[in-house]
Amino acid sequence: MKVEPFDTQRQTAFSRRSALLSGGMLVLFGGVVYRLFDLQVRRYDEFAAKADDNRFKQRVVVPRRGDMLDRYGNVIATSRQNFRILLIPEDTDNIPESIARLEEVVPLSARQEERLLRDITAKKNQSFVPVEVMDNLSWDEFSAVNFRLPRLPGISTEVGETRFYPDGEHISAIVGHVGAADSRDLANAEDQAKRLLYLQPGFKLGKLGLEKKYDTELRGQAGTQTVEITAAGRVIDENDHRGNEALPGTTLSLTIDTDIQAKAYEVLSTDYGEYPEGTEGPGAISGAAVVMDVVNGDVIALVSTPGFNPNDFAKTVGSSKLRELETSPLHPMLCKPIAGAYAPGSTFKMLSAITAQEAGISPSTRFGCSGKFWYGGHEHNCWKQGGHGAVDMVNSLKHSCDVYYYNVATRVDIDHIAEVAKRFGLGQKFDLGLSGQVSGIVPSREWKRNFYRTNPDNQTWFPGETLSVVIGQGAVTSTPLQLAVMSARIATGKVVTPRIVRGIGDSFVEDPVFETLAGDPEHLDIARQGMDAVVNQWGTAARSSLMPDFRMAGKTGTSQVRSLQINPATGRPFQNHELPWRQRDNALFVAFAPYDNPRYACAVVVEHGGSGSKAAGPRARDLMRAVLEKDPSNPAKNPLYYPSGTGANRIAALEGQG
Amino acid sequence: MAKEALRVPTAELDLQERILRLHWPLLLVLCGIAGIGVMTLYSVPQGHWSPYAAQHLIRFLVCLVGLAVVAVIPLRFWLSASYPIYFGVLVLLLLVPFIGEMNNGARRWIDLGGFQLQPSEMMKVAVVMALARYYHGLEFKKVSTILGMIPPLAMVGVPVGLVFIQPDLGTSLLIGFSGLLVILLAGISWRVVTVGIFTALAGIVVAIQTGLLKEYQIERVTAFLNPDHDPLGANFHPNQSKIAIGSGGVEGKGLLEGTQSQLGFLPETHTDFIFTIYGEEFGLIGTTILLGLYILAFLLTARIAGAARSHFGRLMSLGIGLTFVSYVLVNTGMVMGLAPVVGVPLPLVSYGGTVMLAMMGGFGLVMCTWVNRHQDTLRTQGWRR
Repeated sequence: MKVEPFDTQRQTAFSRRSALLSGGMLVLFGGVVYRLFDLQVRRYDEFAAKADDNRFKQRVVVPRRGDMLDRYGNVIATSRQNFRILLIPEDTDNIPESIARLEEVVPLSARQEERLLRDITAKKNQSFVPVEVMDNLSWDEFSAVNFRLPRLPGISTEVGETRFYPDGEHISAIVGHVGAADSRDLANAEDQAKRLLYLQPGFKLGKLGLEKKYDTELRGQAGTQTVEITAAGRVIDENDHRGNEALPGTTLSLTIDTDIQAKAYEVLSTDYGEYPEGTEGPGAISGAAVVMDVVNGDVIALVSTPGFNPNDFAKTVGSSKLRELETSPLHPMLCKPIAGAYAPGSTFKMLSAITAQEAGISPSTRFGCSGKFWYGGHEHNCWKQGGHGAVDMVNSLKHSCDVYYYNVATRVDIDHIAEVAKRFGLGQKFDLGLSGQVSGIVPSREWKRNFYRTNPDNQTWFPGETLSVVIGQGAVTSTPLQLAVMSARIATGKVVTPRIVRGIGDSFVEDPVFETLAGDPEHLDIARQGMDAVVNQWGTAARSSLMPDFRMAGKTGTSQVRSLQINPATGRPFQNHELPWRQRDNALFVAFAPYDNPRYACAVVVEHGGSGSKAAGPRARDLMRAVLEKDPSNPAKNPLYYPSGTGANRIAALEGQG
Repeated sequence: MAKEALRVPTAELDLQERILRLHWPLLLVLCGIAGIGVMTLYSVPQGHWSPYAAQHLIRFLVCLVGLAVVAVIPLRFWLSASYPIYFGVLVLLLLVPFIGEMNNGARRWIDLGGFQLQPSEMMKVAVVMALARYYHGLEFKKVSTILGMIPPLAMVGVPVGLVFIQPDLGTSLLIGFSGLLVILLAGISWRVVTVGIFTALAGIVVAIQTGLLKEYQIERVTAFLNPDHDPLGANFHPNQSKIAIGSGGVEGKGLLEGTQSQLGFLPETHTDFIFTIYGEEFGLIGTTILLGLYILAFLLTARIAGAARSHFGRLMSLGIGLTFVSYVLVNTGMVMGLAPVVGVPLPLVSYGGTVMLAMMGGFGLVMCTWVNRHQDTLRTQGWRR
């Protein structure tokens, strides 16, 4: 057999190169195996941890917000079930068809539908993420949808939580409202965990009022949940129990009586005839009322009208609605009992009377009133044109005689008046936890120096200015809360300090024991006698008497918001009904009751109500009648009231019995 | 050996003898690899026979029959069929830009009445066949001459270019690599090899500079060179597949238990990235077994090539064996961060009909070489026309 010589050559070459290439391949295989060893053995821990990082994600669990209860354990603020409808785009082949079928059960507005379609488009790449169709459904709607769920592809239902205030706008001045975290909240968040919580869709934080002040307590502790997810972010397992449970927020027990609160809101929004037909009115009554327990300082009611409905904020308040609330001339977002500073008018006269006695003027001293008082080359008028004749101190309060106090003003020092006013609570802030508190102004020499810091010519106190202050005009201003505290202090002679939170969680704030006020108690007695006469002895507030049922003492106040002007048409000073609403006098009334054994004090302010005796007094009368009939601090009449406990532990005790 | 050598080398074997002479160990090894493929493809869709595993098994069994058919056909036939097959595939490749199916921005497929064919995959085997046929008929002294080098370079260069413009960088590089390996095996002088390497390097630089390479192709290579860069972009898949394989550990997470693959952190787990799910679920033990089977298949092929008396048979067998392992090395290297991400399947394990067909056809030719290893009559028929 013939063998070609070159065949041997090429076979040899092939053999050598075949060995070389095969060897090379084996070396490369060695590299691959080494790499496998490197990845799967040497660096196993690293990659195992990375794989777990990939599949497990921490999810923030929003805690349930704490409730607020009134003094009997009735709910003021709670978290209510929120029935929502969701749509999971990937679970339906035909989204418009699903929506159309849903609309046969619950109608959607054109705007809702538009927003829904926009959300679906925005989340196109994560079509397994539920999109909210609508929320806050009624139970009937919700169960109707649930019943038809099998025929609604892609639709699912969920029960979430929304903040709910059963009393709505009655309570808005106290609770404020909650809202989703905004960019400022995010910037102020102390740590990443907080920021993450703030970003949760269901999370709301306190924005105003007690919701804001006690946000930390009410909020609770966010929990974490470890969930297993796919690369695209879909959660496939929620039942991993690693992580911390969310701790629900603490319950806040308030001193408020929701019935009295509602009554106060009612009297403040009812027309008492202060805006006669044909005159311009504000459309709603803008005012404030505070009812206090004078023994322990409990604020039983604190109302601002018009209010706003805090439930609107639990959903999303439209920006136009929010703007409307913020720009309304009646300031519904303002908590007027603490944020409104009004000239106290004649309600200040008790303080002037006390100062007078401390300055040595006997209560039996009489000053004659002819309706006019000349001082410093100016004529000062009494509110009563013909004058009151000779009046002593009790009668000066009863008739609210201005000239009497002009006489007092010439005999006392402004700094002394300021000291007494502060002793009774004016010019002070009380930490109730409500938003927007102002301190008001108690004029004194020091105050004037500070006030005109940049204008040295104006820093001197002129004796003529004292004449305005003694009748509660001029620079002096006070909040309705301060006026309520003032009448409580006059009623008891104690340093009564208001409070609105009785307990946080199970810890009950003991009833405070107030110190006795400085000064002679007999001076207070004269003031009390005067207030009794105002209401019960045919004084300026005779129409507000609750006799014979209750003996309520009180004082009217009518304070000017502008200086007097003569109406050229009549030749007399402008009457309130002749003026635009904004220029009419503020109407005030302070009261305490029962006269013999004071338990409740109140202050009512009706902005531009015209006259304290017509607009404020009757409202205070109706409010105080409700208070005295119910007697909210009397456990015998209110078995749910628990003098030494919170609403929360009262409920617990009752449940224990049951 | 000694006894068989006494046979008349030119005598034709009958069919029964051919079947008995099939290389059964190699057949078993291939079945093992494909079995691993079926099992892994069962795991890819979270434990379902459809859409991959059952189809893969059926294709393998069909191709196994095809392999046997190829093996029992006389090697002489394949020698004479080499050029027609090569040109046939080349025509298909030329048709791709015109009648090819668009997929992921590239035209690689031809639809043959419900059967999707990927000519570039067939070309891997066809180019090896054609080169073996060429060198079979070429005098050894002409191998390194300019004239002798032009046809094989053209035979390699044309399909490489056609596949490159599809675009399919990985396959075109591998076709070129397989072709060059066969030329090397044919005994081309080292001087030419050295010159060739430098020319190739210069060519790469030119290709990058002139924008011949697509941006994403360059990106993949730079991502490979700098693995910590851009972990959510170009390096997302390489990093995720390293995590998958690494977290498999020694024993693996178990069938269907791979978190990386089952939760969708990995791309293309049924094709190019199948090694990641296998590595994650079966660990170092599993990957070593699979690589062992691949090495065994290669060594058996190399032994068949060494035993073949015809130049055509040995060049073709080893060429196919080298192509086979090149795929394995590039694919495993790619998923473990040792090579850039170029679309190269893992032979017999990755889901894909044409790759299966080409590889099993290739092994059929290897098997045919083994059946006819003693016949050198081919030589005369081959080079003396």
